[in-house]
Amino acid sequence: MTSKGEETDLIIVGAGPAGLSAANKAAEYGLRVTVIDEFPEPGGRMLGQFHEESGHWWVGKQIADELIAEAGRRGVRIRCGVSVYGMLKVDDRFEVSTSIGALFAPRVLLATGAAEIPMPVQGWTLPGVMSIGAAQVMANVNFVKPGRRGLIVGINVLAMAIARELSVSGVSLAGIVLPPAGPLAGAAAKPKDNLELLMGLSHLAPSPILRMGSRIARSCNLAGWIANFFPRKGIRMWDIPLQLRTAAVSINGNERVESVTLAQVDAKGEILDGSQWEEPVDFVALAGGLYPLAELASVAGCPFIYTPELGGHLPLHSEQMRTPVEGLYVAGNITGVESALVAMSQGRLAAASIGVDADAIGSGGDRIVAEAMEEVGRTRAAALIQFQPGIAEARRGIYRLWQETIEVGV
Amino acid sequence: MERIQHHPILGKTKFHQPITYTFNGKKLSGYRGEPIAAALLAEGIRVLRRHEESGAARGFYCAIGHCMECRLVVQGQGIVRSCLTPLEPGMIITEGQQLANEITGRKLP
Amino acid sequence: MKPPLILICRCEEVSMEQLETAYQSGSCTSRQLKMKTRATMGACQGRVCRRLVEAWLRAQDPHASLDAELLSCRPPIRPVSFGQLARGES
Repeated sequence: MTSKGEETDLIIVGAGPAGLSAANKAAEYGLRVTVIDEFPEPGGRMLGQFHEESGHWWVGKQIADELIAEAGRRGVRIRCGVSVYGMLKVDDRFEVSTSIGALFAPRVLLATGAAEIPMPVQGWTLPGVMSIGAAQVMANVNFVKPGRRGLIVGINVLAMAIARELSVSGVSLAGIVLPPAGPLAGAAAKPKDNLELLMGLSHLAPSPILRMGSRIARSCNLAGWIANFFPRKGIRMWDIPLQLRTAAVSINGNERVESVTLAQVDAKGEILDGSQWEEPVDFVALAGGLYPLAELASVAGCPFIYTPELGGHLPLHSEQMRTPVEGLYVAGNITGVESALVAMSQGRLAAASIGVDADAIGSGGDRIVAEAMEEVGRTRAAALIQFQPGIAEARRGIYRLWQETIEVGV
Repeated sequence: MERIQHHPILGKTKFHQPITYTFNGKKLSGYRGEPIAAALLAEGIRVLRRHEESGAARGFYCAIGHCMECRLVVQGQGIVRSCLTPLEPGMIITEGQQLANEITGRKLP
Repeated sequence: MKPPLILICRCEEVSMEQLETAYQSGSCTSRQLKMKTRATMGACQGRVCRRLVEAWLRAQDPHASLDAELLSCRPPIRPVSFGQLARGES
């Protein structure tokens, strides 16, 4: 290896909410920052996100545009369409291998976000079957409808949020149904578990679910309640039938999606005999949730911990966003799946820690880091979208593990 | 598939410069700079690739560069992920192809 | 009803049935399943199916290890041409 290539103070991988927020803050502290992203335009998944919030629309694209404009003013270099395929620490600096050559910096922030968990159904390799995030990107970022009429398989926070977006974007949806029961879907195929999950989504759930909620609360036997009372045709959420008693059996078609075989299921998710029918659709969106995309942390030698509440395997990190690899930091969904607002505050916190470590802040550094930590906590507590219950507790567990191992020097 | 020319929340969309290109020898239209996969979807094309071993038809799956399902061949660039590769005027694009297998002895049809 | 044919690994076209067969013949960690069936070894490097392999294994054996090292990530983690590799090393 030689030292040929561009050198900077901080390389940030990922131009989403965490990466851009961190870049702007780090540049404010006087650091030279390069942000890399393999998507052709910066903004990350915010580009296609919008939701209604107490009467007005929260539009991710607007926030992305503001962050990008600020980055421009602060002299942050954003390089899109560039893939990072590896990284290596040589002496006191990182060599980041990219599709346009090697980049060098003493500090790297990984803000690579999350990837989707699939929800397989027989026939899910047919063209026209896509992850639900792909449907979101096609409709809201590329502005091409994913198809004429689609079906969503999998009922979870991500599915409900994107279903709403697709509906607003004018994409026709036949419904949201359960995945087939089995070892891959687990609880996701059980009507009871899904109803419980939806009950926890009161902010997303329109009145029908809330109305049902009080009836359910009076019923001790939730499974029995669904089997007996949940409407066979589902209930409509924003004009999309939410079908808690219907599961996808197979996706059918010759070289492209032509229909999905659906069936009625009992409260445990088992198919009722003779209840199958074919629903004509030309696309299917599979929704299994999100997990932290942390390959680069692994390549860089960062240890991992398994935390189901935050989406699975994630790089061990401190509350200040440091990893055990000196000079390597993390922020955003790579540290656990949460909303864009939490990711942004994590980005600012990571930048504060980086500023302190790089001696760029001066005497008030510790106070700035402490304030940024408090801001993350406040944002998390106020978050409208909670992907999983128990996030704050799970986070405390990670920070405790950090203190017990890394800080003690085990 | 239908393009969303005016998005109810995101406003006027970004289709500026119409261009032409070919896919599997057929002349198609799209907009400069949009991902190849989006342009092909707008033209109603779902099959982007044949599985290298089985030949099964595949289309895009994740649309953000994670899954590699949408890879196809752009003349001069080789195999690319069509969900991340911007469309350029005059591009010559062919679907990802099934390969022969010397170990099993399978030849191409 | 006959059991559905569900592919777990799209890249290498590995079915749930093949995992089952491998598991029965003694591949009982995610790493052994990977080595036996090639699941998670295709073009996406497990980004799509790693979670499925782990979920499937957990359904067979709730105590199966989920150690991140079992299905580790190695560079290059994105497609790269020999030309790009050569330029990166020059």
